[in-house]
Amino acid sequence: MTDETDPTSRRYTRRGVLALGGAAGAAGLAGCSATPSDGGTGSDGENGDATPTLTVATYESFIDAPSVSPGEWVKTEFESRVDAELEWATPDNEVNYYVERATSGAPIDADLYVGLTTEDLVRVDETVDDDLFAAAGEVDGADTVRDGLRFDPFDRAVPFDTGYVSLVYDGTETTAPETFAGLLEDGHTGDLIAQNPGGSATGRAFLLHTVSRFGDGEAIEGDDGDADYDYLDYWAELQANDVRVLGSWEDAYSAWSGDEAPMVVSYSTDQVFADMEDANLEEHQIRFLNDQAYATPEGMAVFADADEPDLAREFMSFLLEPDVQGEIAERNVAFPATDAAELPDGYADLAKTPAEAVTFNYDELQGSLDGWISEWERQFAGN
Amino acid sequence: MSDGSRGPVGEESRSGEHSDGGRVAAGWHRLRDRLERRALATASAATVAVLLVVFYYPVGTVLVESVVVNGAVTLAVFAEVVRDPFYTGEFARLFAGEGPLAVARAFLGPERRLGIVGFTAYQAALSTLVSVALGVPGAYLLARFEFPGRRTLRSLTIVPFVLPSIMVAVGFVAAFGRTGTLNTVLAAVGLGPVELMFTLEAILIAHAFYNAPLVARVTTAAWESVDASAVETARSLGAGPFQAFRHVVAPQVYPAVLLGAALTFVFTFGTFPIVLALGGFELATVEVFVYRLARDLNYAEAAALAVLELLISLSVLAAYLRYEASHTVTSRGVRPLPRRPLRLPELTARELLPRLGLGVYALVAALVFLVPIASMLFASVTGGDGALTLDHYRFLLERQRTGAAFQVRPWPAVRNSLVFAAASALVALPMGVVVAVVTTRRYRGRALVGAVAMAPFAVSGILVGLGLLRGLVFGVEIAGWRIAVAGSAAIVAAHAVAGYPFVVRTVAPGLESLDRSLVESARALGASRARVLRDVELPLVWPGVVAGAAFAVAISMGEFTATVVLATGADAYTMPVAIERFIGRRLGPATAMGVVLLVVTGLSFVVIERLGGEYDGI
Repeated sequence: MTDETDPTSRRYTRRGVLALGGAAGAAGLAGCSATPSDGGTGSDGENGDATPTLTVATYESFIDAPSVSPGEWVKTEFESRVDAELEWATPDNEVNYYVERATSGAPIDADLYVGLTTEDLVRVDETVDDDLFAAAGEVDGADTVRDGLRFDPFDRAVPFDTGYVSLVYDGTETTAPETFAGLLEDGHTGDLIAQNPGGSATGRAFLLHTVSRFGDGEAIEGDDGDADYDYLDYWAELQANDVRVLGSWEDAYSAWSGDEAPMVVSYSTDQVFADMEDANLEEHQIRFLNDQAYATPEGMAVFADADEPDLAREFMSFLLEPDVQGEIAERNVAFPATDAAELPDGYADLAKTPAEAVTFNYDELQGSLDGWISEWERQFAGN
Repeated sequence: MSDGSRGPVGEESRSGEHSDGGRVAAGWHRLRDRLERRALATASAATVAVLLVVFYYPVGTVLVESVVVNGAVTLAVFAEVVRDPFYTGEFARLFAGEGPLAVARAFLGPERRLGIVGFTAYQAALSTLVSVALGVPGAYLLARFEFPGRRTLRSLTIVPFVLPSIMVAVGFVAAFGRTGTLNTVLAAVGLGPVELMFTLEAILIAHAFYNAPLVARVTTAAWESVDASAVETARSLGAGPFQAFRHVVAPQVYPAVLLGAALTFVFTFGTFPIVLALGGFELATVEVFVYRLARDLNYAEAAALAVLELLISLSVLAAYLRYEASHTVTSRGVRPLPRRPLRLPELTARELLPRLGLGVYALVAALVFLVPIASMLFASVTGGDGALTLDHYRFLLERQRTGAAFQVRPWPAVRNSLVFAAASALVALPMGVVVAVVTTRRYRGRALVGAVAMAPFAVSGILVGLGLLRGLVFGVEIAGWRIAVAGSAAIVAAHAVAGYPFVVRTVAPGLESLDRSLVESARALGASRARVLRDVELPLVWPGVVAGAAFAVAISMGEFTATVVLATGADAYTMPVAIERFIGRRLGPATAMGVVLLVVTGLSFVVIERLGGEYDGI
């Protein structure tokens, strides 16, 4: 933990290093810590005058990606505007890490989480008895967030950007069909690579898009208007037409790049990256099936146990400011969540937006998501 | 081990020399004897402590969720899983109360369902066959023939073992994909194309890529430990070369081949990312579902599946251990068989045939091992437009120079990997030797103890990660204090735990086969048990010790799950973590880091085995 060595830490006021008796070689080395389990939360006031530290938890690629990531710019810019130090935390299990901490009774060691999805919130609420996140409350700029993106009915998560999951295809090899039905045609046999909806965000979004399109035979009525044909029927036909469902987005995208198939489920910002690499844009075409794409808004929320809730809200307001919204979208290669965002000219030429964005809200996902995925798994992998 | 006490005490005795040298020296001898006598017990206690803290307790906190739901003990979740035909196929009928005959009939029927568990076992069994088929000829080549570069080649066989699955996937697409190397070559000679990607075959080859070297290494170590005098005795008694092989050499090599097979089965039974990268979801294994369920926080079902997985893997390991225990060949020492030159000494069928066979084998091995690795190297110097470039390596340098403090940089990753690997091998070696000694004593339930000691191989990696998070990173509350373990020390301990079973398995068979009279005579002459181990037994089984150390280092170099969980500070990341971090839309930077991992690992092994190899044949 970074605050292990940080003398200004307010969260852990007393520290001791315990040696593990006899643990051959492992003993006595730093890394074993003991802290009073009441947390000693900031009651000592020993750091009253020091610069406060805001711990922002997020996913790894937000601060560390080989191409671009907003983390460094956000930290520098925030610290220049606010008298505070920003510290990143990127646990490998992402938001599940904090769910685990909460259910294990360990203190939450961050102030807010950046990068929450609708599915995350549903899962958190199903698992954690008390509130893991606090209501957003007064956040300047929260009213500028576009209506279609607000996914939290309890107003904890405030969206700060969104992505659209679409098809990316190599225009020199094929022309992607314009509709879901077109993917079932003989001409596209074995042409599409998708991802495991149980393990990848794009795979999950694509599955949810098919649920939205064809319905689940129960709660969700599909856009196709056929009550007897649901998403599982569609997937049975898609599987018969040799769709590949690989594990992660990386698996799928690298197989697609290696010419294993001409179409892949990915993000509609693909050309932004392709342009950065001076690649042939003809090989990076975007297709919105039925003129739609599944929107994947990302939100931020303050932890209920945050040490710096006010500072955290200040950070949320910061992320929603028009210039920051533009920078975040550009550096995270996504779309702003507010209409007021300032984006560079030409960004919209490469980052494509669908005519119609589709997304399930919190209430629609709650209680249904697990079933949709596991029924799909049982049909697709049944052997 | 016991050596640790010598330095400081030695100095003390020197300083006391002029007062009363003799008495102090005698006292020192007594102290040393006492220490040595206790050394084994102390080391055993330390081993148990490490295992408890870094493995059994953390993993226990997760597995217990399969039987404790909302505070109540129940077998309901477990029962639901085994009765679900989706998981257990036709076996589900058995748990639903149908007779074994009905189940057998269902299995023979055309509509049989293997279930996810059944399919996982099926692909693991096939992977094992392929790995043994590719591994044993390699061992034959390395153990019985002399040729330039043999030792280096032998050292490099460990390299596939440490490669992250995404690197292997990159190499495989480039090697066996639609437009890959294999198809290009086939097209040039008017054959092909072969559609290998996204098939069971691709998975089997990838599993062989990882595990055939393992089979080859353990088999080579056993083959090199065959005592030449036993073969000579057999020959002098009139046995032909084949008879001598069948009755003397083979019985000592079989257990190693079976060990390789058992480990391959266990590893490929728990396979995860590679299956979805090269096969697809139709070929999903148990671990895919453990991952998904754990990610969705459905721990009860995830743990139940993992327990099922564990039971099957442990049964395989226990079966192997029973076999090993009943097939020990006693030997008095090791004078290795002389190697034959690879170059044909004379043109006879007896000399020609094995070399022809090895020639064919070399071609197949080149296709399975060299082509994917070469494709990986090639990908690291290929840009988005297909032209050769050093951009990806420039990225590494650039990241090293300008990366922010919270970002992953290449050099600390290399340095940490080397430090963790060396430290964890130093911890894993004594742990492994101690457990090997304990499990080669004769008592009831020995196979069970041996199997449980190998549990780190058999528990779902995903749940180990989760357990470490809960058990160590979050810590436990004791008397109002929250005690947590994380950072470098915890990573070293976790790596040692993951690697030590290798040491046990490469050292135990040797100890077992040693003539007990050697130990007994040394003990009769007054040597402590620890001293006998150090001065008599270990030197005799040294190839096994070196092989075990090599595996421990390899495990540490390639480990990912435990490392990311325990590296809570920004500075404890390793090369596999850096590779994962550098994966982007283009895989160039990650591939370049993968090549760094490959080179660093390869060099380390050449060095390790050069150092260890000096003891060959003592």
